[in-house]
Amino acid sequence: MAIVSKTANSASFRNSRRWLTVALALYFIYTFIPIFYVIVSSTKSNADLFGTFGLWFSGDFHFWQNLQDLFTYQDGIFSRWLLNTILYSVVSGVGAALFATFAGYAFSKFEFVGKKLSFALVLGAVMIPQTALVIPIFLLLSKVGLVNTPWAVILPSLVFPPGVFLMKVYADDALSNELIEAGRVDGAGEVHIFFNIAFRLLTPGFATVLILAFVATWNNYFLPLVLLNSSDNFPVTVGLSQWYALATSGSGGAVLFSIVMAGSLVSIVPVIAAFLIMQRYWQGGLGAGGVKA
Amino acid sequence: MAVIELKGVEKSFGSVKVIRGVDLKVEHGEFVVFVGPSGSGKSTLLRLVAGLEETSGGTILIDGRDVTNLGPAERELAMVFQSYALYPHKTIRGNMSFGLEVAGFPKDEIRQRVDEVARLLQLSDYLERKPRELSGGQRQRVAIGRAIVREPVAFMFDEPLSNLDAGLRVDMRIEITKLHQRLGATMIYVTHDQVEAMTLADRIVVLDKGIIQQTGSPLELYEHPANLFVAQFIGSPKMNVLPAAFKDGRISINGGVGIEAGKMTGTDVANVGIRPDDIEISPDGTGLIHGKVDVVERLGSDTFAYVAVPGAHAVTVRAPRDSAVAIGQDVGLTFRPERLQVFAADGASLRPRPGV
Ligand SMILES: Nc1ncnc2c1ncn2[C@@H]1O[C@H](COP(=O)(O)OP(=O)(O)OP(=O)(O)O)[C@@H](O)[C@H]1O
Ligand SMILES: [Mg+2]
Repeated sequence: MAIVSKTANSASFRNSRRWLTVALALYFIYTFIPIFYVIVSSTKSNADLFGTFGLWFSGDFHFWQNLQDLFTYQDGIFSRWLLNTILYSVVSGVGAALFATFAGYAFSKFEFVGKKLSFALVLGAVMIPQTALVIPIFLLLSKVGLVNTPWAVILPSLVFPPGVFLMKVYADDALSNELIEAGRVDGAGEVHIFFNIAFRLLTPGFATVLILAFVATWNNYFLPLVLLNSSDNFPVTVGLSQWYALATSGSGGAVLFSIVMAGSLVSIVPVIAAFLIMQRYWQGGLGAGGVKA
Repeated sequence: MAVIELKGVEKSFGSVKVIRGVDLKVEHGEFVVFVGPSGSGKSTLLRLVAGLEETSGGTILIDGRDVTNLGPAERELAMVFQSYALYPHKTIRGNMSFGLEVAGFPKDEIRQRVDEVARLLQLSDYLERKPRELSGGQRQRVAIGRAIVREPVAFMFDEPLSNLDAGLRVDMRIEITKLHQRLGATMIYVTHDQVEAMTLADRIVVLDKGIIQQTGSPLELYEHPANLFVAQFIGSPKMNVLPAAFKDGRISINGGVGIEAGKMTGTDVANVGIRPDDIEISPDGTGLIHGKVDVVERLGSDTFAYVAVPGAHAVTVRAPRDSAVAIGQDVGLTFRPERLQVFAADGASLRPRPGV
């Protein structure tokens, strides 16, 4: 008996498509509501924030005022935080992606003693949340006097085990051994091969790890909270939460809620921008044509 | 040009012995083809020569220099891979220049050499394209071009044509022969296609289970196979093998009447082999053995008849193209006795080779 799949015109196909669309739409709304809330709230004055319906704009468009307050409050420390976050995320993201690429390439293409064990360790490390390691990291870094410096956030963030795993899998798939061997026969050294041949073909994987590591550091809260204590070194996450704490404690915090809202909005814009920029590196088929599959 | 010498070369992967003691000398400008069934170790042997695998034993000499422990770069060989292995992000020019750039040649010379080789291989119009914008045959030519520009001491080919369609494969085969004549370079070529092996090789090396079964010119292997394996591997269609026994100084085939044994190096006859070309179909009741025609294939140039013989495998016969042989017909089969191969129970040939 032939197996006949549902065609686009059959009633059952249309029916199941309708239900799937509804389910996805619900899920989309569920995900989008918090973002929408932030967008709406950042346009409201402090009074409107509590006095009007949360999920819709109030008549009074207070957004520019909020922005101005955000960047001037406490001598404009928010821009400092923003720059800190950008610094930490870019350095950690690029660094972590580079290390992950080196390690993934090595795991994928070389035989060495202890390879299985070290890869098992990497896989194990994927399971351990960084939060669980923050206190040991604090103790280590305080020994070498790096607490409350940018390094305290950057160094631990360079370790990104999921990235290593991703790059190993990606290199297995995207980079044929024969290509590397062709490089060797052509007389190129291993470093030359890595940077001139392998790295180019691993770019989509590199971009993926870069964005993941970048976002992980961008959103990291607990690590900088523990490891940094001067306000000048804070990233946006820690800074905003301090303002929020100030606002809820009531002391002169009346104006702060709307600023925190505007700050939240401003802090997600660069991440969205990063995603859009990195998108073009995900183009498929970069390796097409080199080796016949 | 180079002389490549293997002495007792061995290779194991873990506990699996893949190459078991290979001795071979490839002369200046010689075209040597490794053939053998899948998994026989052809690629591994080639990769050992190229330096892409480390030997587990034995030595490899290139022009008398011991290269056993040198990397591929230091052996100055070129290799053409089955998958082409072109650098996908580089243009054709970039692909062909890469080796020269690594070696630090001046830009002008690189350009000039690449242009020259591109002209030789009719790739001049594609130099600025990427590999994915070329057809399979063109990519293969680029891979060969990349090997040629470096003017290596020898070329290694690992099944370079197996990804091409039949027509293109014949064209490229002829191109490679011409190339070998023009460059006069030492070439080692791996294939499991025995037609490719026969047409290209000065000398064929037949491998099975990591052991050289026989080395010799295509005709030598065809006419004087050293054992049953080589006999069946070389030649298309395959050599027919029939059970046989030695009785009263004669060889009895498939239990039938004996024929003159001729010169032999032993008498423990177990099988005889006869090529489809060396059998003639005769009327039923004549000939050495008889059978019933099972299938007839008319290829235009030839007609192949598959004759079911009781007590043996089907026997393939090459008949003239206008042969009247028909399915279901009872026929007799006549052999040319001087072409009969005789094998012992262990497969070794019992026919003395000329000069042996
Ligand atoms: N890296 C490796 N690790 C383990 N075993 C290997 C490795 N490479 C090859 N082998 C084994 O060695 C044997 C010979 O392999 P090889 O690739 O040389 O065969 P081949 O004659 O080239 O076959 P084919 O015609 O299929 O290409 C095979 O049994 C294969 O499984
Ligand atoms: Mg092979």
